[in-house]
Amino acid sequence: MAINKKLLSLLLLVSSLSSIALSSSSFSDPDSDSDLTNELVSLRSNSESGVIHLDDHGISKFLISSPTPRPYSILVFFDATQLHSKTELRLQELRREFHLLSATFLAANNNGSDLNKLFFCEIEFSQSQSSFKRFNVNALPHIRLVTASTSKLTDESGQMDQSDFSRLAESMAEFVEQRTKLTVGPIQRPPLLSKPQISVIVAMIVVAAPFVVKRILRGETLLHDHRLWLSGAIFVYFFSVAGTMHNIIRKMPMFLQDRNDPNKLVFFYQGSGMQLGAEGFAVGFLYTVVGLLLAFVTNVLVRVGNVNVQRLVMLVALVVSSWAVKQVVYLDNWKTGYGIHPYWPSSWQ
Amino acid sequence: MATQESPPPGTSSAMRNAFGTVLSALILLLIGVLAFSIRLFSVIKYESVIHEFDPYFNYRVTQFLSKNGIYEFWNWFDDRTWYPLGRVIGGTVYPGLTLTAGTIWWALNAINIPLSVETVCVFTAPVFSAFASWATYLLTKEVKGSGAGLAAAALLAMVPSYISRSVAGSYDNEAVAIFALIFTFYLYIKTLNTGSLFYATLNALTYFYMVCSWGGYTFIINLIPMHVLLCIVTGRYSPRLYIAYAPLVVLGTLLAALVPVVGFNAVLTSEHFASFLVFIIIHVVALVYYIKGILSPKMFKVAVTLVVSIGLVVCLIVVAVLVALVASSPTGGWSGRSLSLLDPTYASKYIPIIASVSEHQPPTWPSYFMDINVLAFLVPAGIIACFSPLSDASSFVVLYIVMSVYFSGVMVRLMLVLAPAACIMSGIALSQAFDVFTASIKYQLGRSSNSKDDAEDNTSTNNAPKDDSSSGKTDKGEEVAKERSSKKGKKKEREPADKPSVKSKIAKKRALVLPLEASIVALLLLIMLGAFYVIHCVWAAAEAYSAPSIVLTSQSRDGLHVFDDFRESYAWLSHNTDVDDKVASWWDYGYQTTAMANRTVIVDNNTWNNTHIATVGTAMSSPEKAAWEIFNSLDVKYVLVVFGGLIGYPSDDINKFLWMVRIGGGVFPHIKEADYLRDGQYRIDSEATPTMLNCLMYKLSYYRFVETDGKAYDRVRRTEIGKKNFKLTHFEEVFTSHHWMVRIYKLKPQKNRIRGRAKKLKLKTSSGLDSKPAKKNPWI
Repeated sequence: MAINKKLLSLLLLVSSLSSIALSSSSFSDPDSDSDLTNELVSLRSNSESGVIHLDDHGISKFLISSPTPRPYSILVFFDATQLHSKTELRLQELRREFHLLSATFLAANNNGSDLNKLFFCEIEFSQSQSSFKRFNVNALPHIRLVTASTSKLTDESGQMDQSDFSRLAESMAEFVEQRTKLTVGPIQRPPLLSKPQISVIVAMIVVAAPFVVKRILRGETLLHDHRLWLSGAIFVYFFSVAGTMHNIIRKMPMFLQDRNDPNKLVFFYQGSGMQLGAEGFAVGFLYTVVGLLLAFVTNVLVRVGNVNVQRLVMLVALVVSSWAVKQVVYLDNWKTGYGIHPYWPSSWQ
Repeated sequence: MATQESPPPGTSSAMRNAFGTVLSALILLLIGVLAFSIRLFSVIKYESVIHEFDPYFNYRVTQFLSKNGIYEFWNWFDDRTWYPLGRVIGGTVYPGLTLTAGTIWWALNAINIPLSVETVCVFTAPVFSAFASWATYLLTKEVKGSGAGLAAAALLAMVPSYISRSVAGSYDNEAVAIFALIFTFYLYIKTLNTGSLFYATLNALTYFYMVCSWGGYTFIINLIPMHVLLCIVTGRYSPRLYIAYAPLVVLGTLLAALVPVVGFNAVLTSEHFASFLVFIIIHVVALVYYIKGILSPKMFKVAVTLVVSIGLVVCLIVVAVLVALVASSPTGGWSGRSLSLLDPTYASKYIPIIASVSEHQPPTWPSYFMDINVLAFLVPAGIIACFSPLSDASSFVVLYIVMSVYFSGVMVRLMLVLAPAACIMSGIALSQAFDVFTASIKYQLGRSSNSKDDAEDNTSTNNAPKDDSSSGKTDKGEEVAKERSSKKGKKKEREPADKPSVKSKIAKKRALVLPLEASIVALLLLIMLGAFYVIHCVWAAAEAYSAPSIVLTSQSRDGLHVFDDFRESYAWLSHNTDVDDKVASWWDYGYQTTAMANRTVIVDNNTWNNTHIATVGTAMSSPEKAAWEIFNSLDVKYVLVVFGGLIGYPSDDINKFLWMVRIGGGVFPHIKEADYLRDGQYRIDSEATPTMLNCLMYKLSYYRFVETDGKAYDRVRRTEIGKKNFKLTHFEEVFTSHHWMVRIYKLKPQKNRIRGRAKKLKLKTSSGLDSKPAKKNPWI
């Protein structure tokens, strides 16, 4: 009997153990899931824009150890502070946009049922190198959506393409909406000036206007100084012919690093469709300097009494001018393959 | 210079003036001939043919006008394009160019010169370039005297930027618009200098002509108010300014509203608001000046506070109304193009379709060298010359160059507006430089030799290599003299014209000269610079800007190859298809198809309906069956694709395919760009996606391509294509041009439904509703 009793208790133990195991595998899921979600929500509430800062531990907790049909998706922004200085990667700008996207999502789904289905996280390279390895991320910028069903972190189908953040938060929102079927809502950028600022500025203008008008009527403002206008005009000219607008619109860097030799810097880009910042300013300077020298000679130098000074200055001006013209022709030839030829009568050849 | 050298007795001065006038008239005539003839390279190298895309539309409209008269043209509804929507041509075109060419054609025919409409259209642009250089002469003469005027006119006659838009055959709005632009500016300056209402009225009329001709008129209606404001702010207000500005705004706006395509936009859109605002300001200022005139200084002080405060309140109210109006419209009342001028990054952020057009790209520095060449070096000197002394007129050209150079930096297309300003500035700079250098040479020579030789020196200056500018100097003095005698009672306006002569008199007194040898060297260098400019311009006109793009040529070792595939295929269409057949192609070829083949098209270069274009884009990016359904629903019979893979013609439809997908996907979301991309690139080789290999554009382009060389090597993409052997199920090839550049396919008729036929028939008899099964919208 004793044996029997022992056996029974063993059986009971086994069955209860197995039932616990069973229940833990089938019933305890919602609890731990909601725990994870609640933890994410509380983490989210700590940050202003709703972006959760994760590290290796957080990644393993929320993404690796959690069973696959997760009740949430996570959009991960891969950041690296050490690369912030490289402007061509636009990491900081994209990060700001990512925060904006998160804030917009929060605002749009406030009180909605979708609020806890998507979380915005960022991880930083120096703090969580192993996570970068787990995600198999080698290049930045990188934004990855880990959907509820994604089981392997190396699965790159959730990666946001270059084109998806080309238009910043707007295109990121499209990507998210397309993949998760959640609504992000229209991106609302904070206005450049807040309303009180605008009203203060308007008030200042209104107050200042009579004084300004009075001074204008008297003709004693800076605006009446010809030199100011002159230098302004020359500056705008220099600014435009240097192709600065191109550099601003295309966000061109001042120079590039040579691919073959990292210590060498490339200041001039070959090919007509593109130019670098330094290159533009150099040629803009060449464009402008000839005209300035010519104006100097015809307007100022003629008033100089000493003939030898005149001679010397003119010599310098002529040499510099012809050098500048030559240089521009040479550079243009090098850059675009520009080669002109005159059309002499055929009998001359 | 010559006139100021020695105050001459009446007869010799008159002789010299007469000589100067005749000489400058002759030079102007030669400049006109130069402007006309440098643009004939396209006719000589190719043939007398209309160029490119838009000119074909203008040509077609002109043909219609010459055939049916102006009233028919005004009410013309064109059903051969944008099928099935059609397009109201009369209300949606800028009619200036068409009316101009139509009038020229009519006038020539009236005096029994039987030119064809096409010939008139081809040569309109060169003729107006000559007019434009004369207008430049007039404008620059008002600013800095006729020497600068002649130099500027000569420079404008051959400035590459302008040549690129006005070669013979390039029958586009800009051809006449640049002339209208310069002439409007000239009349504004003329009014400003004379204060004459006659010129003010003429100015409004030219402005009307400009509005008729080109959308770029908004540049004028913003630049002139800016100049007026600048004058007011810098204390240069005068009654002449009022006369120059107020009639222009009132008359100009009324006239502009007469042009159907502008209509009420002339008072409703933000582009025009600046002019109204300045209109109010100038009235307030005029009132202030008037009151100042009738009151004692003490009373005025009291009054000024009153008037200024009332004026400010009125201004504020108006500004508030304007702001409210602007804010109520979705884009803030500004069109996308204008916005991208103000905020250069706007287009690249928000309107990819504007950002995508190559004309709207920001230029890099080589563009300036290509388009205005050495003028880029001379402009700063011109700007400085305009500041010494600064007059109303010279401040206007400075403002003009500053604005246009900034705008050209944003959009390469606006280089065209910069070109006249750059020519004027460089003309002024060149003329001033020649003035100083030749005067120095003459003075130094005169000092060393006897003063007897004065007369010889004069002739030697006149024979100086750049004789237009030196002869201009003779003219300048004459101009001053004439103005003195003719314009009575207008003291103020003489001021700017007087100043140069006063200045040169001072120059004479102090002997402001440079060393002889340095002057000679500088002169030679300037002449070399000018020679380089001429060589560059001729080269650009001959090599870079003369290709009509409808006939292509390529130079290879075994001689010249001519590719005339476009006209071959349009001729095929017009001879082998029914006159009412609809032809689908990408919008680039719409104008040409209607003009040359006289067939109805679905979309054309007037891209007014994005959805319609997206429909065609969707069809081109869909698989054959879906595409067939879309085309069939549009009654399309033929599909035309342009293919450059055989001969290496890069601007073919496969290269434009990304826009078809993007525009199509923008309206019909089931077209996803990602489906066509492999590693972020459009590829047609073995790496291409299945969607790409199955889309209609791929199939129509590469159908039977493997038969040409056995490998199906695409010379544009420099790769072998991905799918070589395939059959078409819903389309059949009907025509492929000589070099395979144009391929035309016919939609196969719907197949007979043999199997389900009996059932269908039964159903048909049972219910009438079923006879036409609910047609599935094929676009979704």
